[in-house]
Amino acid sequence: MKRLLRFLATLPRRTLHLARVLIPRAYAVAILGLLCWLTFMAIQYLFVSLLSPATTPPQITQLPIRLDASVLRTSRDEWEALSATETPRTPPSHYHRIDGWIGPDNFNDCTRSGCHSPLPHARNKAARAFLNMHATSIHCGVCHMQGDERPRPLVWYSLVDGEPTTPPAILQAYGLIQSADAEKRWANPRQEDQKELVRLLRLAAKETGTVRVLTALADHFAAVSESSPMFQQLLKEARVSLPRHFRGEYGAKLAVRDAATGGPILGHPNTDRAIQSYFAQKGRADEATRKRLLESVHPLRRKEPLACSECHRTQGSLVDFAAAGFPQARIDALVAPIVVKMTDHLREGQPAFTMPEFIAPPTPTTQP
Amino acid sequence: MCHQYRGLSRIEEPGNQVRVFYVDPTYSLAHRGPHARLACTACHARSEVGVVPHEIVTPVDCARQCHLADRTGLERPFSHDNVAAMLQRSAHANEGLAKLRLDKGAVLNHGQSNCLYCHDEPTFRDPSLVIPKFKELAGQAFDRCETCHAEKVDADIRYYTNHIASRFLPARSTLELAQVCAVCHSDAHMVTDMGKKDPVASFLRSFHGKAALLGDDSTANCLSCHVRPGENAHLMLGPNDPHSAISPDNVANACRSLTCHPGADKRIAASAVHLDLSTERGSIEFALAAAFILITIFTFGPSAVLVILDLIQVIVGRHLHSEKKTHDLVTQIMHHPGGPARLVRFTVNQRIQHWVLAVLFILLVLTGFPLKFADRGWATVLVQLFGGLQIARVVHHWSGIALVLGFLGHLVTVCWGVIRRARAARDSQGRADYVGEWTALPMWITPQDVRKTFQLLGFLLFLRKDRPSYGRFSPTEKFEYLGVFWGTVLLGVTGLMLWGEQISSHFLSGRLLNLATIAHTYEAFLAVIHVGILHIYNVIFAPKVFPLSTATIDGRTPVEKLVEEHGDMIDKVALDLGIMEEDRSQYE
Repeated sequence: MKRLLRFLATLPRRTLHLARVLIPRAYAVAILGLLCWLTFMAIQYLFVSLLSPATTPPQITQLPIRLDASVLRTSRDEWEALSATETPRTPPSHYHRIDGWIGPDNFNDCTRSGCHSPLPHARNKAARAFLNMHATSIHCGVCHMQGDERPRPLVWYSLVDGEPTTPPAILQAYGLIQSADAEKRWANPRQEDQKELVRLLRLAAKETGTVRVLTALADHFAAVSESSPMFQQLLKEARVSLPRHFRGEYGAKLAVRDAATGGPILGHPNTDRAIQSYFAQKGRADEATRKRLLESVHPLRRKEPLACSECHRTQGSLVDFAAAGFPQARIDALVAPIVVKMTDHLREGQPAFTMPEFIAPPTPTTQP
Repeated sequence: MCHQYRGLSRIEEPGNQVRVFYVDPTYSLAHRGPHARLACTACHARSEVGVVPHEIVTPVDCARQCHLADRTGLERPFSHDNVAAMLQRSAHANEGLAKLRLDKGAVLNHGQSNCLYCHDEPTFRDPSLVIPKFKELAGQAFDRCETCHAEKVDADIRYYTNHIASRFLPARSTLELAQVCAVCHSDAHMVTDMGKKDPVASFLRSFHGKAALLGDDSTANCLSCHVRPGENAHLMLGPNDPHSAISPDNVANACRSLTCHPGADKRIAASAVHLDLSTERGSIEFALAAAFILITIFTFGPSAVLVILDLIQVIVGRHLHSEKKTHDLVTQIMHHPGGPARLVRFTVNQRIQHWVLAVLFILLVLTGFPLKFADRGWATVLVQLFGGLQIARVVHHWSGIALVLGFLGHLVTVCWGVIRRARAARDSQGRADYVGEWTALPMWITPQDVRKTFQLLGFLLFLRKDRPSYGRFSPTEKFEYLGVFWGTVLLGVTGLMLWGEQISSHFLSGRLLNLATIAHTYEAFLAVIHVGILHIYNVIFAPKVFPLSTATIDGRTPVEKLVEEHGDMIDKVALDLGIMEEDRSQYE
């Protein structure tokens, strides 16, 4: 007992002594490591600068030269050259400017499993591009998974974390300035309304990838007084320009809502082993086995995918666009008869029709 | 209506290529380029795209004839066929492009126009690059124009201004042009075919390329040299063609154009824009760079070894008992009325000179190194912090001038000190020994310093028991001091040559400018690693001075460090003050 007490009494002194011995040594080890590393890097750089052939830096070469399917699995941020200049060149085979492409959906089991590409529709030649267009804002399950409820229970999920999220900020922002009470509300706007609009626009810039335009608009809204005529001018401008960003790229997608969890259904449940089994036998299995394997991979698959008009219709649409957060102006565009008729026409493989004259662009002029 | 969606696309089988049918609506809505007013059918056949679903669309022929209407509605035929004809006479004629084999495979689809190798949808560049006032006026630039032109006199002033302003600039920025050229010229196959030379990579290692990487678009781009004045890019010829802009007879004209180096001699053309040392082995440039690397290794290396061995002493916990005696001596000196002043190692004047040198050195590094490592992200950030490359260069140049002036000032001080001391110590015949005073300057490295450095090495390698002690300055400090002398002269001379390249070219060959660049960059690197790694360790991170040697503030070295290194100085002070008797002195 005495020994223990004596030991405890000397413990602080011993600890201090140990610290005095160890701390300088640990410090010296750390500095030594840093010095050695810096020296190595410096000398290595010298030899590389002399002996290695000059290579073109990533600001120039990290650019998609061919727009292959593999590029779709990358995001724009992964191509350094795209952010190095204001208008980087497009892949040579593509004339029209593309400042980005469909961002990868890292939570969609159908594509991330390696079974389907991010642009999965290929069979129907006339409609495949139209159908693929929906892949930017809708999970495959909305059209291809079973379920007879009308409207279908849907939920937005974030492309950042795959978690349920609120409707996209661009839709909310437009809803805010175009809602039923908007005229009254924005005639005498409050500072809170201004702040909320700026917040939504900044968020929308991030979500839609159209950073420059929307950020500039948000900055402008933030810079002017809510009671100034300039604010009203900006509102007018925003009502025209925001719908141009309704292009299905919202940083979120609609998916079928799981009744039990309230979260999105992002793949067929409990099919990991079935998928492995399918890949293991791919190319070797006979047609019957293949069919059986595919069925086990897709337990929730709807026999026939939904027709376009099931959603794009004014009455009884499968999607409650308003509940999903779409502003009325956008809903009107989505359910317009021309869209419905054209999409069904294409999907059903009916004969080509001539583009209506009103769609034809004006005659180009040489004079400004 | 449909083509505004990025997702309107599909994967082409075979080839796994993505066909994107997206057309950015803001291009035509905001009139972002000269093609913004064109209808789809100006390029695509109406019979193919006028029906839904579209027929298989044949590739666009850029030289086909289209019709543009003037303001009266009268349609006029238009075509880029003149450009196609020019291209046929250039180094990029169809026959040559047809033979193009790239490592990445074909970049164009079958039948696509060769124009697509270089062109995509053209956009207007920011008009404020031509008319800086635009930036100041922001959205108000057109207010007065629109008083009349918005409704009464129909003319889209914005479109007109953007269009015309764009024509005063290259269609693309320097980096965008490099991106265009790199598609083929940096391709592994083509680099091999061209003798392992990647012209885009070497350009981006030149001053012009680095400036572009750092966001300065006023620098020369590929077309500045490869296109003859008054001609356009479509008439670019190969180097072997006597009419080519880069043929030996013509290339100097490109350098000496009014917008580049108008006052330069034609010899400036001998300085290399595409210098790649690794492919120029055997050249004098390669030899000079190799020599500098050896100098770096043989100067920085031994100093680094001493520092590393010194740290190992701390790690193994080596203590010298003899230091206690010196420590006691310092305590006695500090208690002597005249003692503390005698232990000040650096005068106020020297400390001020040191800090001025430190500030100028830091400024030079911050403004110079981004150019050396221009392709790194931090370099651009640093340059932007200075307000852009132009301002960073001005800071660099004038810091360099200040450093050279400071150096000359120091030299004058030293020389004046020598003269003063020599005159004060005239012999009986009234002769002043200037040489003797000059060689007696404390910063010369003497044979004794060399001997003591080897003794130190022996001590650090556990071959000797005692650490050698020095006087007021250690050999390391003397070495660093002389390094600053050598470095300032070399960097100053080469810096002035490069800054005044137009004047230099009248006296020196362009290749000497290459050598000056190499000497400047490698010497600067040596200075930075020596100061940044070793000097910073010695005055900040060394365990006995951390967090900062007070010698830089009040001239007094921390006692621990003083005892460890400057024993001879302590002994001499103790002797002078009568604290220590001569027979006990270890001072030699």
